[in-house]
Amino acid sequence: MLRTMKGPIISLRGITKQYPPDIIALSDIDLSIEKGEFVFLTGPSGSGKSTLLKLLSCMERPTSGELSLDDFDLTNLSASQVPYVRRKVGVIFQDFKLITTKTVFENVALSLEVIGLSSEQISKRVRDILELMGLASKTDRYPPQLSGGEQQRVAIARAVVNRPSIILADEPTGNLDRGMTNEVMALVEELNAEGATVIFATHDESLFAHTYRRVLTIHEGRLRA
Amino acid sequence: MNLNHFIQRAVADFRQNLPMQLMTTVVVCLSILIFTFFSFIYYNLQRTVERFGSELGLVVFLKTDIQESKIPILHQKLLNLPGIENVKYVSSEEAFERLGTYFEDAKGLLEGVDQHFLPASFELRINRAIFNLERIHALAVELEKWNEVAQVQYGKSWVDRLSAFVAVGEKVIWVSAVLLLATAAFVVSNTIKLAIYARQEEVSIMRLVGATNGFIQGPFLLEALFQGLVGSLLSIGLVFLCYSYFKGIVAQTELMRGVELIFLPPSYVISIVASSVVFCVCWTFLAIRRFLLV
Repeated sequence: MLRTMKGPIISLRGITKQYPPDIIALSDIDLSIEKGEFVFLTGPSGSGKSTLLKLLSCMERPTSGELSLDDFDLTNLSASQVPYVRRKVGVIFQDFKLITTKTVFENVALSLEVIGLSSEQISKRVRDILELMGLASKTDRYPPQLSGGEQQRVAIARAVVNRPSIILADEPTGNLDRGMTNEVMALVEELNAEGATVIFATHDESLFAHTYRRVLTIHEGRLRA
Repeated sequence: MNLNHFIQRAVADFRQNLPMQLMTTVVVCLSILIFTFFSFIYYNLQRTVERFGSELGLVVFLKTDIQESKIPILHQKLLNLPGIENVKYVSSEEAFERLGTYFEDAKGLLEGVDQHFLPASFELRINRAIFNLERIHALAVELEKWNEVAQVQYGKSWVDRLSAFVAVGEKVIWVSAVLLLATAAFVVSNTIKLAIYARQEEVSIMRLVGATNGFIQGPFLLEALFQGLVGSLLSIGLVFLCYSYFKGIVAQTELMRGVELIFLPPSYVISIVASSVVFCVCWTFLAIRRFLLV
């Protein structure tokens, strides 16, 4: 369902997510995130960080509460509208989620193919983003032929190539060494500087220890101020 | 997203998942091959039985005391019967002559025998297209009721045995056909399901980047169409090769003289190919659907 009123780009009111039979992953979450904001989401493993990101990327539905993202009311979203929400959200995963049988170029191009761009447009935009990510020489490689850092950069390229307004990063540096982590952080910050709203889930405190950005902490499914 | 784009993606997917695609196509081919070969044998058996049945003529022997004047009337009466193509009158003299020809090497056997001792008869040739074994039998029974008729011969015991064989054969064939179809459907559907399970993660990633169900399903359905088409055409090609090989052998065999192998008619071939394609596409649609539910 489309919303027309102005407000935060992401809004959660009393969001609860319960898995059968009685596992409460999120409980009564209230949260507003403004357009262009960079927010760290932290908490121990199993605290509910990933569940929150899954709700925002429509991989899960809330049990109760109101959830809106950009112009979409996710609480009452029809199944046919889900793909259109996902096109506004770029998701970066800890385990990259790349298709191993497709080349780097094809993995990144997927995000543009789904929105129906022409082959020429896709080719140009994919080559541009791969150039930006320092992967121009690896377009024809397959994911297993790349290092962890390179695979994560491909995943980031795929998440941002269609210029989404929101980037959800779920422990994107969890499998990377310090050097690669800094590289990925720099890339995400650059995307944020270009206007994307970022929610960066991590339990690596060093990433936000000296930040001026907002840090949200989830513990046992509840949001702490 | 146009058809051209779907085809390009289907071709790319086929290339990237070549071993799995080939395995599915081979399974489709083998399953359809069993069914097609079976259909081929059934079709030829049915045609042969029909042909033998319809080639049987009827010989209507007349009573010896029949008046000459009644012959043309009877001739016309027989000709007017539905399904009778030709009626030939064989007088007792002509029958005797035929017997003489038969015993040409031992003419002495017939010396002194009365030339009229054989009954006159009518030889009926029936229309193959409309007569089957049951109707021949019914006609014979009907003709034997006529006052002028002494006996009707049409190879009754042979026909009875053939009819019994056809009746049992048909039941066996239908049960086997159902079992074969069920087996083929089970094997093909599970192979398709396995092929899609193997690409489950790919489907989930496509969903994550905002692909619509149509975008995801399109190439899968095109690949299924290709597998169904190529698999069935290959199986029909293999059966055609068998047909070409056995056709010559059958023609030279003494036992099978008069039996001509016939390849499946175009309507059968089209039905097999269409069924194969429809089955593969529908099953792929159902198998992939479970990964597309939100």
